[in-house]
Amino acid sequence: MKTWSTIVTSRRAALLAGVLALCGTMLAFTQTSPVGTRSDENARLQEQVLRGRELVISHGCGGCHGGVDNPAAEGWLAGLTSPAQEFRIGPCGAGGDDTCFRTRPRNLTPHPTTGLGRFSERQIFNALRYGLRPGETADVEITSSTPGEGSFPMFPKYLAPPMPWAAWRHMPDEDLWAIAAYLKHGLKPVDNLVEDSEGPPDFWASAYTEEAYGSYPLRAFPGPNEVEPGPDADRDQVLRGRHLVVQHACGDCHGGLTNPEAPGFLTGVTSPIQVFPVGPCLEDPDAPCFMMRPRNLTPHPTAGTGRWTDQQLFNALRHGLRPADGPDRAVTPATLPDDAVFLAPGMPWMELRHMPDQDLRDIIAYLRHGLKPVSNEVEDSDRPPEGWRGMYETMGAGTHPAAPFPTSNEVGG
Amino acid sequence: MHHRAVLVATPLLATMGWAAATHAPSTPLAPGESLPDTLVAPPILEDRAPHPRTVEVTLTVAPTTVELIPGQSTDVFAYNGRVPGPTLEVREGDRLIIHVRNDLKEETTVHWHGLHLPWQADGSPFYPIPPGGEADFDFVVPEGSAGTYWYHPHPHHRTAYQVAKGLYGALIVRAAADPLPEMTEKLLILSDNRFLPDGSIQVPDEGSLEARIDFENGREGDVLFVNGQILPSIEIRSGEVQRWRIVNASAARVYRLALEGHEVLHVGSDGGLFGEAIPVEEVLISASERVEILVRGTGAPGSTALLQTLPYDRYIPQTRPRDWGQPRDLVRLEYTDESPMGALEIPEVIRPIEALDPSAVSATRIFALTQGFINGKTMDMSRVDEVATLGTTEIWQIENLVGMDHPFHLHGFSFQVIERNGVPEPFPKWEDTVNVPAHETVRFIVKFEDYPGKWMYHCHILDHENFGMMGILEVRQP
Repeated sequence: MKTWSTIVTSRRAALLAGVLALCGTMLAFTQTSPVGTRSDENARLQEQVLRGRELVISHGCGGCHGGVDNPAAEGWLAGLTSPAQEFRIGPCGAGGDDTCFRTRPRNLTPHPTTGLGRFSERQIFNALRYGLRPGETADVEITSSTPGEGSFPMFPKYLAPPMPWAAWRHMPDEDLWAIAAYLKHGLKPVDNLVEDSEGPPDFWASAYTEEAYGSYPLRAFPGPNEVEPGPDADRDQVLRGRHLVVQHACGDCHGGLTNPEAPGFLTGVTSPIQVFPVGPCLEDPDAPCFMMRPRNLTPHPTAGTGRWTDQQLFNALRHGLRPADGPDRAVTPATLPDDAVFLAPGMPWMELRHMPDQDLRDIIAYLRHGLKPVSNEVEDSDRPPEGWRGMYETMGAGTHPAAPFPTSNEVGG
Repeated sequence: MHHRAVLVATPLLATMGWAAATHAPSTPLAPGESLPDTLVAPPILEDRAPHPRTVEVTLTVAPTTVELIPGQSTDVFAYNGRVPGPTLEVREGDRLIIHVRNDLKEETTVHWHGLHLPWQADGSPFYPIPPGGEADFDFVVPEGSAGTYWYHPHPHHRTAYQVAKGLYGALIVRAAADPLPEMTEKLLILSDNRFLPDGSIQVPDEGSLEARIDFENGREGDVLFVNGQILPSIEIRSGEVQRWRIVNASAARVYRLALEGHEVLHVGSDGGLFGEAIPVEEVLISASERVEILVRGTGAPGSTALLQTLPYDRYIPQTRPRDWGQPRDLVRLEYTDESPMGALEIPEVIRPIEALDPSAVSATRIFALTQGFINGKTMDMSRVDEVATLGTTEIWQIENLVGMDHPFHLHGFSFQVIERNGVPEPFPKWEDTVNVPAHETVRFIVKFEDYPGKWMYHCHILDHENFGMMGILEVRQP
């Protein structure tokens, strides 16, 4: 029997790719005036805003809410502007027709009536930590995730999938507050009313189970899919990597969602439902599709990431290079091989690349030293004969490093 | 002089709009003349006062059994033993004395919805009437307040249940000199309810998914009533004009009223008659609102037309009812076989309404409506949310931040909507409830006259009100 979560997972990935593919016409804006002198309080806020900006970019908020990883792009975080950006969540993703819910990425800019200007930073925090829809949840401090306790609503109304709040919730408090600060104080308001998402009358409560998404906070390391790192690994680094893997929702495509204890955690495709299409078929059912197959990320020596070096994995996360085809040496955008082969769409490397070097190395350390190897062979994803380079060049992505703050979409100070 | 005739209702003009002007003679129905409808108006509460300008009535709130569904008995709560309760009728300027006895096994109040009166007499949750208790209300109905109102319970967290059980009735304030010509008048109290097969009123179990859906939408019933009757008929003679006072006593349902093949004149709202008649093909009436319309008998003798409520999407997508898109029949309008009667003149200017002066505004308050909350808060009886000064004029800006409509009601003071989403309202009219559609903003102007005290403002979807989507305005002496 198909569950919401499995359906959501595959559709999220598929349609995220579809959204990315639609971004080809985005325009770049030039940098505006630099940040001026501020009071200490403003300086602290500005520091928080900048931290929030980094997190928003590296967590791929723009992948659904507009602008990919480019704060200078038109529509940056302004929400849905075309029906093609809608998600269809439900059994229709597995061949049904009329039983899907249409969900729509919201306007995250601080517009007072159509964006997040309507809500307090605490409501945004509560959305990111607990998945609670800000318009339907009291503006209060929540101290429990048990319904009816600690101001957690008796009947929680959760954000619609594919909003990955179940991953975001594992970020530290200060990171979530920083994101809220950036959305409230670092962006110019954009007047774009997005129609409410559809959903089941329980507001997804039956979908967001602990069994599927794991516990908050995470249970102690190592779980059943994990191993104590050997003497050649830095345990603290592995633990940091574990948190980053969960916070960045790697399991949403690679298996196990945000639950390191779930069967199939990061083992790649184990069910056809995890294979999703990318390409022109998303807009035209008669057009060709390329099937994406999320890889086995466990350190298995022949089926998983054990096949590749840390540098190849780093190049994958930073530059989008397929480890199997990429060079085992440090590269820069300027020194990418002419025949570079890029990861298939759906893999949000364009956002992940904005993470600091150390974060990427922490993730690799966890994949290498914190997971049990699983011998799950995953077939290569399809790709067009010319590869994906052309798509990435035209999709409206930004640069690495990201455009300096503030862009024309942002406000500094 | 503004009393130029703008309307003459004759079948010959059936294909013309209301704006068609002729000068045919006026031949209204004689006073007291009526046609044998199946629509039964609730009886008028007996006035026991010995003085001509005082109305003294008694309301007893008690459980009883009535027949709402033909052939079935239903346990209800009732005012004076019937659903809807008897109609309270007064004239503007009258002293009104109401003795209320509560024979329920729970607290209740009686809120005189829309009236301008001392706050202690408002029937708000501050003054519950205990089981077996009594309360006396004594106030003067202000001059100029002629209109259609209603009364219903308002105990905190129990309003939705008690109204669903049958507690609602109409209250009509008659003008000393009504500007409309005499004509047949009908009272239509709209309500809806749900029933179990045994005829009992169905209320979902607390905590059930159905209860949660009811909370989101407000409880809607699949059986629609007019004066407690299902699809009653109103007879009309071709050419006749009737005045219909319509009360939405539903907990949540919005009625988008349309009379098949007829254009009607919209002549009044919550606070009485408009300045002038507005020809319309449909009228929207959200929970607790009232409208007055003039129905012109443009049909042929012997013909029939249905008063329907058309689909209106007021819902959030997650809980939108599957059948929301179906029109529902309310009343069958049946034409007699009599030959068409003559025309009736309707004055162009019905009741001049002076717009409140925006230059006198001393404060603008913003109320953000989300799902169950006003400005992020739920009702706390011990908290005052807003403080205003007696005698001042304010603008209230109601911002609906979520994807479903919320009808916003202010106790004690009628207001004039001045703007919807930045678009000025075309003319002033008096209201006590305004529907704020999803993601829209409404601004109204209100003057706090006469009565200090604590006043509720809330969403009039009763399930939202029950939850606490309500706040307290305290009007203080300067």
